[in-house]
Amino acid sequence: MARFKVPDLAIITGAALGLGAVTLTLLGNPANSGICISCFMENLAGALQLQDNMRMSYIRPELIGFLLGSFFMAKKSKRFHVTGGSSPIIRFFLGFFIIVGCAVFIGCPIKMILRLAAGDLTAVAAVLGLVFGIWLGTKYIRAGVFLDREKQMPTINGYIFPAIGVLLLIFLVLKPGFIHQGETGPAAQRAPLLIALAIGLIIGGLAQRSGLCITGGIRNFLLVRETTLLYGVITTFITAMLLSMVSGQFNLGLEGQPASHMGHGWTFLAMTLVGLASVMIDGCPFRQVIKAGQGDIDAGITCFGMLTGAAFVITWLLRSTSAGPSFNGKIAVLVGLIFCVIVALNYRKLTGKRGRSHT
Amino acid sequence: MDDSALYALVSSPTAMDLIHKLSITALVLLSLITAGMLIQHQVSTKGLQGSANTRKIDLKKYYEDRMARDAEIFAEVIQLQEQKQFSQALEKLEEIRTAHPDNPQSYVYQAQLEYSQGQLAAAIHSYRQAVDNEPDYVDKKTPLFIGNTMLELINEARGKLQREKKLKPKDRTILIALDDLLYLQRRIAGGCE
Repeated sequence: MARFKVPDLAIITGAALGLGAVTLTLLGNPANSGICISCFMENLAGALQLQDNMRMSYIRPELIGFLLGSFFMAKKSKRFHVTGGSSPIIRFFLGFFIIVGCAVFIGCPIKMILRLAAGDLTAVAAVLGLVFGIWLGTKYIRAGVFLDREKQMPTINGYIFPAIGVLLLIFLVLKPGFIHQGETGPAAQRAPLLIALAIGLIIGGLAQRSGLCITGGIRNFLLVRETTLLYGVITTFITAMLLSMVSGQFNLGLEGQPASHMGHGWTFLAMTLVGLASVMIDGCPFRQVIKAGQGDIDAGITCFGMLTGAAFVITWLLRSTSAGPSFNGKIAVLVGLIFCVIVALNYRKLTGKRGRSHT
Repeated sequence: MDDSALYALVSSPTAMDLIHKLSITALVLLSLITAGMLIQHQVSTKGLQGSANTRKIDLKKYYEDRMARDAEIFAEVIQLQEQKQFSQALEKLEEIRTAHPDNPQSYVYQAQLEYSQGQLAAAIHSYRQAVDNEPDYVDKKTPLFIGNTMLELINEARGKLQREKKLKPKDRTILIALDDLLYLQRRIAGGCE
């Protein structure tokens, strides 16, 4: 591992992500959803009975794999640094609204890439929205908007999230009565447990080491023309597209695409929300899970926000179906954007005051 | 009492003093008790909940029972349909729907009858209602899956509806039918719901 430089690692991680995602679909995961953090969170919320749609209830082993893969890699490479305390409630709600945005598009930024790689042209609006949201985020960064600095925390805090990962794995294997597992619908579409877990562990470990992040890659390019992570993102797309073509899953067009809708304007806005919020919390939903595994408590709080959001998007219908975005979902996206802008403005003021007070 | 007052109360702690040892002992005991209770509970409820295999058999039986019940409920409709008495079949279907308002199978038969009468748009709409009420109709993993039948209708109707749309671009009925058609197509394609 040490022989590889970070740019190589980002490309290797990107390739593993694309390869792993399409393989998981071939092995049973829902179409174009080999890896989707927001879908996985919705499934997890159902499994924990935080929402009651049995068809969307399953503890996805890939999610556990990402968390634990990141944890093991961070421990092995001595990068397990326990930090936290940076605007936890703000991060919680940004995580919440990120999932709202994902649910209105029907997919996280990784699934956006997978959908596009499988020929789903409805994801083009999502790409434009995500890039626009990230661009907005970079403008805010340049204007001095940052959440608080994180602080060093007692080590025990860093073990909580990996421990939750282990607990979820125990639940997944033992299947106690209070854990739901759907036998029809998307929940029943799943790759074999051990393979899904192994793919999750590999990708989690690589992502920890390389820092691969969909929104981070685009942000770094827009902010400082830095392309390391962006190459990883592009590699994910190319790998997934090639494998989709080889495996006969590629279907170019707007019509008849799995888990899609034709509300392109709302897709754009929803992914703008995801892009903007992700820049504010320094990482896409996937990156938040990886960071939670490597001891970042703030990312863990964001994951709790994402899980809560995943439960609410189902119970309150803050999402889209194949028929299009629901009214509740549209309102939630707008509220999310309002929240982001209010936070940005307030944190900009705070930074200014602090700056003045130090001088 | 503030933090500094609390710190003042701390007696110089050592690595393995009594409180430390007692805490570790309590931790081990509590972990063992919890694990023991969980294992015992898991063993005792295993029989009640059944294995994954048993659940699959239960699910299979559920679908078999349901399909048998539906066949019984809609027997007359099926008979009339076979005799090509479509309007009588539709009337009978309406009666059944009043008696069994929650049974989504009625939409499937309605779609079939409408299709048999050449009402493609109406048939597509009925299939959409069927899928909205019972997503298993587009779930390949269940015996209720009728996605291929719907796709045949979709393929037949798409060209016709698109031609009609060109002739009457503002006709709402055609636009709704096309919307229903594309919706069904997306649902049959699968993915997360």
